[in-house]
Amino acid sequence: MLLEIFDPKAPPRAVGIDLGTTNSLVAYVREGVPTTIENCHMETLVPSVVHYDPRGHTVVGKDAVPLAHEHPRETIVSVKRFMGRGADDPETKRLGPYVFMPADPSGPNTVRFDVRGKPVTPVEVSAEILKSLRELAEDELRTVGGCVITVPAYFDDGQRQATKDAARLAGLDVLRLLNEPTAAALAYGLEKKQNGTFAVYDLGGGTFDVTILLLEDGVFQVKSTGGDSALGGDDMDRALFEHMLASAKKEASTLTPHEVRALLDAAKEVKHALTSADTVTKTLPLAGEPSVTVTRAELDTLVAPLLERTGQASRRAMKDAGIKPKDLDGVILVGGSTRVPAVRAYVAKLFEHEPLSDIDPDSVVALGAAVQADLLTNADREGEVLLLDVLPLSLGIEVGGGVVDKILARNTTIPTGARNTYTTQEDKQTGFLLHVVQGERELAADCRSLARFALKGIPPMPAGLARLEITFKVDADGLLSVHARETTTGIEQRVEVKPSYGLDDDTVERMLTEALDHGESDLLKRRILEGRVEAERVASATEKALANDGHLVSAEERALIESATRALREAAAGEDPQKIRARLDDLDRATKEFAGRRMNVAVARALAGQNVGNLEEGVKHAKGVENAHVERPID
Amino acid sequence: MNPFSELGLADTFEVDVKALEKTHRDLSRALHPDRYVQAPAGERRVALERAVRVNEAFRAVKDPLSRAEALFALRGTPIGDGKEPKPDPDFLMDVLESREALSDAKGEKNAAAVAKLKAAAEANHERVLAALGAVFAKPEKPDESAVKLLGKLRFFRRFLEEVSDVEDDLDAT
Repeated sequence: MLLEIFDPKAPPRAVGIDLGTTNSLVAYVREGVPTTIENCHMETLVPSVVHYDPRGHTVVGKDAVPLAHEHPRETIVSVKRFMGRGADDPETKRLGPYVFMPADPSGPNTVRFDVRGKPVTPVEVSAEILKSLRELAEDELRTVGGCVITVPAYFDDGQRQATKDAARLAGLDVLRLLNEPTAAALAYGLEKKQNGTFAVYDLGGGTFDVTILLLEDGVFQVKSTGGDSALGGDDMDRALFEHMLASAKKEASTLTPHEVRALLDAAKEVKHALTSADTVTKTLPLAGEPSVTVTRAELDTLVAPLLERTGQASRRAMKDAGIKPKDLDGVILVGGSTRVPAVRAYVAKLFEHEPLSDIDPDSVVALGAAVQADLLTNADREGEVLLLDVLPLSLGIEVGGGVVDKILARNTTIPTGARNTYTTQEDKQTGFLLHVVQGERELAADCRSLARFALKGIPPMPAGLARLEITFKVDADGLLSVHARETTTGIEQRVEVKPSYGLDDDTVERMLTEALDHGESDLLKRRILEGRVEAERVASATEKALANDGHLVSAEERALIESATRALREAAAGEDPQKIRARLDDLDRATKEFAGRRMNVAVARALAGQNVGNLEEGVKHAKGVENAHVERPID
Repeated sequence: MNPFSELGLADTFEVDVKALEKTHRDLSRALHPDRYVQAPAGERRVALERAVRVNEAFRAVKDPLSRAEALFALRGTPIGDGKEPKPDPDFLMDVLESREALSDAKGEKNAAAVAKLKAAAEANHERVLAALGAVFAKPEKPDESAVKLLGKLRFFRRFLEEVSDVEDDLDAT
C-alpha cells in the first residue's frame, strides 16, 4: 500500500462521493473492496456544514459545527435542502435561521444566502464541502480521476444541475450522478445475485426516497422511484423540538436564532439517545434551564405522521413497479434516520420483510458510489453489471390555460428522448413562448419551472399553420436539454435547461479563478493536468479500439487516426491546454466514422445474442422462430 | 424512426414482452453511456444517440397503444394532428354509462360493483387488443374503423386507471 501511495506515477483513481444533507463522505475501491477515506483523526464523516469567517475564508466540516451555534447566519447547515431552489421558493424561508438576498431579476433565479452582506449560493456552499472531500481523497490517492456523486432519486433537473455545478466549481470531473438508492444496492453487492426484486428505503436528514429495483441478467433496472425531497430526520428533530418546547411551556417566537439552533441540536441528541433508551431527560439550553423528559413511545407518536408519508410514497412506488410486498427479495435501509427503532419496525411491516442493515447506513451510499466509479473506470470490470436508471419526475411543456402537456413520463428509462408538435393559436403569430416544467401536477403553476425561452422570427402565418417541434433529451445523469424547431421554416433553437438555476461555463471559469489562491496560474496548472489525463485516456482508448476492431478501418483511415493519436500525445507532453484540446478535437474528427461503425458492430452483436435466445424460445413458439430470422440492417 | 427495426424486430402487433425486455437489456449493455465513460468524446456522443433511440424504441414497442400508433404510421395511416375519426355514438354512450357506474360505486363504497366494472373493462380491453392484432395481421393499409380502435383502447386504459385509483381509495378507508 505504501508503495502505491508514494508512486509518483500512481494512476488517477475515481472516487465515489455522498454529498449528504447532514454528512458527506468520499470512498474508493481499494484492492476490490469499497472503502471510505478517513482524515488524520480516523473520521470518515465530514459534517455538511460551512462557516464563513469575517475575512471571507471558509471553515468546513467538524470545525464548523460549533460555529453554527455562535454564528447561525454565517454558518450554513443542511445546504442540500436549498440546492436548485429558486429565490422565490417559499420553502427556503422555513429551512433555518438564514437571511436571504433579494431576488436578482437579471441573474439566474437561485436562492442566495446573505452572509455578512455578501451573496453566497447553495452551489458555492456545496462546492466548499466537495473541495474538502477532494482534498481528503487527494491526501490518500494523490490524483483523483473523476468522481461519481450521489443524489436523491427524487432530485429534479434543477437540483441535479446544481449538484453538478458544485462539483465543477470544486474542480471535480463528474463521471456520473448516481441515485442514492441504486448506490446502496451496489454497496450491498446485490448485483452478485444476478436476479431479484429489491426495495430501498432511504430516510436521510432532509430527504426521503423509495426505489424498487429489478435485477435481471446482471442489469439493474430502476422500476420505479418515489419520495419527498423535503422529508427526513430534520423533520423528526423539528417535531421533537416543538414537543419539548411545549413541555417546557415556551413559545418558538420568543427564541433567538441561537436558541433555535441549540434546541434543534438538543432535540437531535434526544432522538439519538432514544434509539437505545426508553426514556431520556434533558436540560434544555434555554433561559431558566427547564428540564423535560421524553419517552420512546412519545417519539414514536411524533414520528408516526412522517412515517405514514413515507408509507404512501412506498405503496405508490410498489404499485408503479407492478409488485406487491411478497414479490420482494429484500429491503435495504439507507440514511441515518433509519436507525430510529420506530422506522425499522414500520419498514418491516410495510414491506413484509426484515430490512437489511448490516452496512452502516451513513456510509452505504458513498461505498456504492465508489463501486460505480470503479465499474465505470476499471477495464477489468467491464460488462460486470449495468445500472439502468429512470427519470424521477415527468417533464412537460405548459400549454393553453396553464395546463401541462407531459412529454416524458416519470419512471421512463434514461437516457431517452421524446418530441411533440404544437401550433400557433393566433393569426400572424411570429413567436412561441415555451415554458418547460417538471412534476406530476396538472397545472404548470404547481410544477417545478425549469426554463422559459422564446422561439422568434417565424414568418406571419394564419393560426394553426406553423409547426413547432419540441424535442426533449435526457442524458444518463437525468439532465434535460430542449430543442425547438419550427418545421415549415426550419428556424431552430437549442437550450440546455439551466438558465433558471444553473451556471454557464464562463461563470464557473470565473468563480474557479477567483476561488484559487493564485488565480490564473493555478487554474492553468489544473487545466494542463486535466488535459493530460484526458489525452492519455483518449489516446489509449483509441489504440485499444484499433487493436480490437482494426478490420473496420481502411489503411488510410488507420494512418490518419494513428498520426492524430501521436500528435495528441505530443501536445500532452507540452504545457498548452488549448493545444491539447485542439488535438483532442482533431482525433475526435478522425475517429468519428470509425466510432459509428464500431457502434453498429456492438448493436449487431447484442442483437445476435438475442436471436440465439429467440431460437430456443422458438421451439415452443413458432412465431419466435420467424422473428429470429429477421435480420434487419440498423441504418 | 421505425422502433421495430431499431430493436431488430419485425413490425408485428404481437410482441413477446419477455424477449423484448431481453433485447432491451442486451442493447443497453452494448450502448449505455456508462460503457463509454473512458471513450473519446465522439464515441460517447454516438453511443448516447444510439442509447436514446433504443430506449425510445423500447418504450414505443412495449406499450400496446404506442405500438399500435407506430404500426398505423408504418402502414401509411399516421395518427395525431387531430385527424382521427370521431368515435361512434354507441361507444360514447357506453363510455358515459361506465363512468357514471364507477362514480356511483365509488360513492356507495361498493367494492363488488367496482370489481365487476373492472372485469368488464378488462375483457373489453383484451377484445380491442385482439381486434388491433387482426388489423395488423393483414398487410394492407388499415381503414378508418381500425383507427377508431385506438380511441377505444385509450378509453379502456384510462378507465382501468381510474378503477385502480378507486380501489386504492376503498382500500385506504
